[in-house]
Amino acid sequence: MRFFRRRRAKEEELEEEIRAHLDLETKRRIEDGESPENASRSARRDFGNVALVQEATRRAWGSGWIDSLGRDLQYAFRLMRQAPGFTLVAVLTLALGIGANTAIFSVVNAAMLKPLPFPESERLVRLFAVQNGVHLGGISRLDMRDLAAGSQSFEGMVVYDRWRKNVSGIGGSSDPEETVVGLASGTYFELLRIQPVLGRLFTPEESVYGKQFVAAIGANLWRTRFSADPQILGKTLRINGETYTVVAVLPDVVPSWMDQTSAPISIWTPYVLPNTWTEGQRAARDVACLGRLKPGVSYEHARSELATLAARLASEHPIDRGIGVAMEPLVDTRAGPVRPLLFALCGAVAMVLLIACANLASLLLARNSVRSRELAVRVALGAGRWRLLRQLLLETLVLSAAGGVAGLGLALAAMAFLARIRTAQNLPYTAASNALPQFWSAGLDLRVLAFALGVSAFTAVLFGLAPAVTSTRVPVVETLKEGGRSGGVGAGRQRFRRILVIGEVGLTLMLVVGAALLVQTVVRLERQNPGFPADHLLLAHVFIPPARYPDPDAISRFCDALGERVRAVPGVVEASVTTSYPPTLPWKQVFTIPGSPVSRADDAPVTRFAGVDARYIATLGLKLFAGRDFAATDTSTSVPVAIVNEEFVRRFFPNQDVLGRRIRPGPPEGVAPIPLQDFGSLSQDITIVGVVRNFMNDGVAQPPAPQLFMLFQQVPGLNFGFKDIVVRTSVNPESIVPVVAHELKSLDAEIPLGEIRSMETHLNSQTADRRFTTLLLGAFAGLGILLAVVGAYGVVSYLVSLRTQELGVRLALGARSANILWLVLRSGLSIGLAGIVLGFGGALALRHSLGSLLYGVGESDPMTFTGAAVLLLLVIAAASAVPAARAVRINPVEALRR
Amino acid sequence: MGRREPYRDRIELLQGTLDMLILRTLQWGPRHGHGIAQMLRARTEDALQIEHGSLYPALHRLEREGWLASEWKKSEANRRAKFYRLTAAGKRQLSREQSRWRKVVRAIAQVMRSAEEA
Repeated sequence: MRFFRRRRAKEEELEEEIRAHLDLETKRRIEDGESPENASRSARRDFGNVALVQEATRRAWGSGWIDSLGRDLQYAFRLMRQAPGFTLVAVLTLALGIGANTAIFSVVNAAMLKPLPFPESERLVRLFAVQNGVHLGGISRLDMRDLAAGSQSFEGMVVYDRWRKNVSGIGGSSDPEETVVGLASGTYFELLRIQPVLGRLFTPEESVYGKQFVAAIGANLWRTRFSADPQILGKTLRINGETYTVVAVLPDVVPSWMDQTSAPISIWTPYVLPNTWTEGQRAARDVACLGRLKPGVSYEHARSELATLAARLASEHPIDRGIGVAMEPLVDTRAGPVRPLLFALCGAVAMVLLIACANLASLLLARNSVRSRELAVRVALGAGRWRLLRQLLLETLVLSAAGGVAGLGLALAAMAFLARIRTAQNLPYTAASNALPQFWSAGLDLRVLAFALGVSAFTAVLFGLAPAVTSTRVPVVETLKEGGRSGGVGAGRQRFRRILVIGEVGLTLMLVVGAALLVQTVVRLERQNPGFPADHLLLAHVFIPPARYPDPDAISRFCDALGERVRAVPGVVEASVTTSYPPTLPWKQVFTIPGSPVSRADDAPVTRFAGVDARYIATLGLKLFAGRDFAATDTSTSVPVAIVNEEFVRRFFPNQDVLGRRIRPGPPEGVAPIPLQDFGSLSQDITIVGVVRNFMNDGVAQPPAPQLFMLFQQVPGLNFGFKDIVVRTSVNPESIVPVVAHELKSLDAEIPLGEIRSMETHLNSQTADRRFTTLLLGAFAGLGILLAVVGAYGVVSYLVSLRTQELGVRLALGARSANILWLVLRSGLSIGLAGIVLGFGGALALRHSLGSLLYGVGESDPMTFTGAAVLLLLVIAAASAVPAARAVRINPVEALRR
Repeated sequence: MGRREPYRDRIELLQGTLDMLILRTLQWGPRHGHGIAQMLRARTEDALQIEHGSLYPALHRLEREGWLASEWKKSEANRRAKFYRLTAAGKRQLSREQSRWRKVVRAIAQVMRSAEEA
């Protein structure tokens, strides 16, 4: 830039100098007695051509290489304009390749590369309990307390959580909203080095039960919903029916992946620790734990210290036997479940770019061989090889820069589109299903810009270098002697083009196979029978706050009343209040089978559990195939009964009549019960009265797990305010939402209806990330096919044009059309076949690396591979058919005269 | 032809001599481009055919070589102009050119003399 500014000043100075000369000369001539007009004219005549003088002077300035670069650039632009078709194809190809790479890179950047928004974030880590090498999702609070007390490596460690809650009073609105509220102590924010914008962090006393009624809100929420009220501190929010005082406004820097929610959390309340600890609480290992290492402490040192501490815990507490502690840098936990998806996408876009480059290289080779005469003339006139090389490379650089700009535009448009369709709702994501969208960032990051730039330059070298090198190896005399016929020297070049297209076909085959495998996975996942009719089902979440519904009876009464009211809504066939619904019922309970004693905690039978009302089986449409459904006679005072699934029977009572069998809640004697996993300390035995067919209860990709349903009235210890409502309708389920919400409001105006969606939407969302990835891969594969077709077409039609005379001779000598057709088609097919053979090896390796993303697709899937190969051969045959048809129509007379 | 042809008696400048002439002209003190042109015209009595414009590439080239330095000053006609002056390197270059020129003149003169004598 500076060069150009200085250059500009010099130009102006020269103009001024020349003007001064002309003025002085005119003045002198007037003084000599000439008329003013004459004087001015003569002055100019004596001076000579001003433009030429300027040009010559400029040359005297030196810096010749920049000038000649400028001329090369001008020439490159002129060439681009002269061949608009080639330019359009090249720029479009590059734009798609670079755009796809940039868009995917922006996601990778957000998920894996960008530094965390916390100071000295490399010292931030997360701790997990591990058993047999498997992460258990979090850590137990008691273990963490002991680890923190024994460790010297950490500045601090802290547990944090988040919970769906009913919040009202946001911005003075009295309508309740269900939103995710973060639970964290002041230490959490201190470890993250978060300073409040206003107010103060939570104090340690506020983590004591009964003192927790303070809240912090995010700056964005403060601005948008409280219009940045400077008097916000001291105002109150109602959370789950209780009043919380706002004590802080915090900057919005905690990203949503830290809390596994679809959007960042904007309301926090203190993490409340229990007043008393029970030994069983050690076994609840699902709490997120954040730590900050002291300065200078290495990961290895901290890990070995944690291992020592974990071994001590395991020896002191039987419940911790076999449990280790893993430490991961916080930044490594960011991408989490989307990492394999991102790797797949990265691989795919890189392949698309390679294909695009091969295609362009092949196009350039063709064009340069047409230009070989021009190049030969320039060599003959004294242009050095380096000079030619530079010019050809500059041309490709200009092309790739244009493609890069267009690609960046495409990527930005795609990113903005994705960010726009992302849901604004803040929901917890449980599986790997909806984690991807949070990494769609619409903004242009410097890193992304640099990437686009780098890819463009890299592409230029990749597709430009080889053609430029081969094209500047011009045998001048031969080329010039050949006269108008071009490309005669291009036998080696032609071979190179074939190799490029073969490579393209191979890469395309890999892309097509990869996309096909993922498509099959998604289709299989979505076509699975969930075990019940998934249509015409509405799902929603309610939270019945303990503040106003303090005991299980009150909760049961509310649920019964709600079910009653919803069932009366027109269009509703059946409705049930429950604790969870398919395809994932994550809650587990431990029980004992009388007469089958176990000694170790790990051997105790575990089943999936849901507390439901009596209408659940009927509402969902699960198939009862033995025994009976829950009945009105099953009450809080009658014998506790349960309905189980086939898998439960198969696992725990194989080949036995399970009806009437009793199980004992909780683990065997001598093993400490885990809170919330012991049937709420239910004292009576549970009688199994019914068996339902298996249905999806462990997510869409896992086989059914043992399942046990009980009426929540009969398990008071597990009858909490968290309830889901399932409604079977005869009409479109979404259409009755307002009526259901109204019924809920007339029952209790402070309880909102949350997470409303149809079962079909819910099931769809389980595969959302995979479906989205598959869609992209499919698009990339399509792009690959398109490029390969263009490449094959180019090579084959060029062959035809080279062999026009030969084909003409053949026709003149009586070759039949079919022979000519086959002759040309064969050259296309041989390229296709070679590419397919090449691609097969790659596809097998790809199949292996995609392993973790696939479901229900066989290890070697001959159908997919064959299908992809046949598809590719067909499109290449079609692409070769066009020049083949042209070859058949060759007029022998004209061909020979050429 | 009754009409006077203004350039008929003018001599084309020998290749490379313009630089030397400019350096020599500036030996008498700093001058702007127009001033150099006037000086050359006066000294050669209008015999040399120098397009005024051709001075400028030469001036800029000599400046780039470090033989000239320039600055903007008010000219005699109260008009701003770029004045060039000889640098120390320029003086050395001038003396080199002068001795080279003398050799050329001597050599050519010898050839021409022997031709006249023949």
